[in-house]
Amino acid sequence: MRSLSPQVVLSFMKKEFRQLSRTRAMLFLVFGAPLIQVLILGFAVTNEVKHVKLYIEDRDNSALSRTLQQSFSSTDRFNLIDNPDNIKATDLINDWKTQVVLTIPPGFGKDLTLYRKPALQVMVDGLDGNSAAVALSYVQGIIATFIKSELTDTRKYPPDAIFIKAMPAQVEIQDRMWYNLDLNSPQYIVPGLVVILVTIISMMVSAMSLVKEKEIGTLEQLMVTPVRKSELLLGKLIPYWLISLFEISFVMTAAHFIFRIHFAGNIFTMGLLAAVYLLTTLGLGILVSTATSTQQQAMFFAWFLMVFMLLLSGFFVPVRNMPISIQYLTLLNPMRYFMNIAREVIIKGNELKYLWNEALALFVYGFAIFSISVAKFRKVTK
Amino acid sequence: MQDIIQVRDIMHQYGDKTALEKISLQVSQGEIHGLIGPDSAGKTTLMRILCGLLNIQSGTVSVFDLDVSKKFKEIRSRLGYMPQRFSLYQDLSVEENLLFFARLFSVTVQERNQRLPELYAFSRLEQFKSRRAGALSGGMKQKLALSCALVHRPELLILDEPTYGVDPVSRQEFWQMLKSIQKGGTSILVSTPYMDEAELCDRVTLIYNGKVLASDTPTKIKANWNKVVFRVTSPEMKELEPELVKIIEIESCQRFGNELHLVLQADEAASIINQLETRFDEYMPMLEQIQPGMEDIYLSYMQAVQHKEPSHAG
Repeated sequence: MRSLSPQVVLSFMKKEFRQLSRTRAMLFLVFGAPLIQVLILGFAVTNEVKHVKLYIEDRDNSALSRTLQQSFSSTDRFNLIDNPDNIKATDLINDWKTQVVLTIPPGFGKDLTLYRKPALQVMVDGLDGNSAAVALSYVQGIIATFIKSELTDTRKYPPDAIFIKAMPAQVEIQDRMWYNLDLNSPQYIVPGLVVILVTIISMMVSAMSLVKEKEIGTLEQLMVTPVRKSELLLGKLIPYWLISLFEISFVMTAAHFIFRIHFAGNIFTMGLLAAVYLLTTLGLGILVSTATSTQQQAMFFAWFLMVFMLLLSGFFVPVRNMPISIQYLTLLNPMRYFMNIAREVIIKGNELKYLWNEALALFVYGFAIFSISVAKFRKVTK
Repeated sequence: MQDIIQVRDIMHQYGDKTALEKISLQVSQGEIHGLIGPDSAGKTTLMRILCGLLNIQSGTVSVFDLDVSKKFKEIRSRLGYMPQRFSLYQDLSVEENLLFFARLFSVTVQERNQRLPELYAFSRLEQFKSRRAGALSGGMKQKLALSCALVHRPELLILDEPTYGVDPVSRQEFWQMLKSIQKGGTSILVSTPYMDEAELCDRVTLIYNGKVLASDTPTKIKANWNKVVFRVTSPEMKELEPELVKIIEIESCQRFGNELHLVLQADEAASIINQLETRFDEYMPMLEQIQPGMEDIYLSYMQAVQHKEPSHAG
């Protein structure tokens, strides 16, 4: 028997690219869809908290309480709402009129100047827990800044004016959001989207392309030629492997210009780990193709896998926020590791040596899944 | 003559359904061998086994004196197979398909440059070489599939119902192509549900329900068949047919268009015909003996098998 022939693999690749370039739907799926997805989802899937509706119930009505109000109105994080009809604060929340209510008690200004610790009440609509927590922290931050500025900026008052002479004794927290200073949402979302896109392209498209050969009968025709299965698989998968790697660069470049996303890490680290991750997804593609006989079935099957991988990857909900049992389950999900890697490398600029746990998992899954699926493919095709 | 295909006692089952029941078959070097039978007779199963696409469940199969279950890779490089369904890349052009398959069979560039014009000349596809395969007509698709199966000059060509659903003119052309391939020294095993194509083969194997009914040259099959066929025509065919069916001496009574074919044992034929002529005088039947066609013979063998095993009937 002859050995593996590079020419045969090459002619397969040529054929694959040729077919791809002639199928309009595939061209769109590979080049158009990812761009549109990143564009739309990059804007839509956001966990930024901005323009939160805030009602300030000022029962003090002092100079200080009005200054406090101004600090809230000067940021785009809150939109102050009016309450001309004097509706009860809790009803405002119930009616979706406001998400946050800040109550300034009578005597707030006076207490503050007298070194007392006046209490402020903040009510937050906790329906969307994440946003509520973030909004609450913004409120706290603004209040802290307000007190600090009142404390230091004594020049704006006449010498005999009442002002805060000392900070109420408390621990002052200074926040610094590392790696993503402004909590810029696309910066966090887009690397995740890239992972999803390459998973879709490599897994679904490779599965569909293999099943298509089965469906139209060419696989059988190929099987009666002296072509080796390794040549067939290499010839069919290398194009999708290349396209997926191209896809990552393409989408990241586009995201850089559209969302000003900064690629902090080493591109080669990312490329290397992506190449390994693709072994897993291409392997799953082969596996799907061996279990199905039409492109439609393959599509459903791949989608089924995709939903699980996606939801357990930490893209929407961070893995550490999941119940412990589910957290263990995510260890089986190769996408989880690559999701982590993509974020670490792209956002934090982390180096390979700090990611060896994830990288090792990717290697193990990649080679295991790829070998199993190749073996399965060999068995079902004769 | 040497046997290029030797099949011995092949059985094949899909689940509990038997597709092939102890089939044996020999195809000699250089002949066109027809595998004749209706749908679900087991033709495709047999051909897939010969190509190594199905595992052999029991029995032995050798092609080029090589065991198919062990040496199928070696066999494949010397074999051309054209499946029943058009199985080329519809989104590649005629030429791209040919070049792709030439590459898969490791045909050298020199050889290819010589082979392609030959194939074009013989299939008359040259003017369509840049057309996508999917845009070809049914007959042209078959010619392209045949050309792809021939691109590596195989010693044996296995064709699964190549003329099924092809118009009569293209069918005739196709058979002329097969004859010229045979002249080039290639042996051919071709399956067909069309009985008239049997006459175009050097030897045929009649197959039904996974069993071989007969296997020989068409002339010998006819000569060895000890029955005669009478053609019956009558103005009152509708009334006559049910009457004739009831007569047990008549082996079979099949309708062929406007006429009935009666199959009778050769030695009893004369007396039965006499009886019929007097008995059904009122219907004014015209009875005349005709040369049996392959279809008459096939049906007669088939009924014999059905009578033996009524469970298989229908």
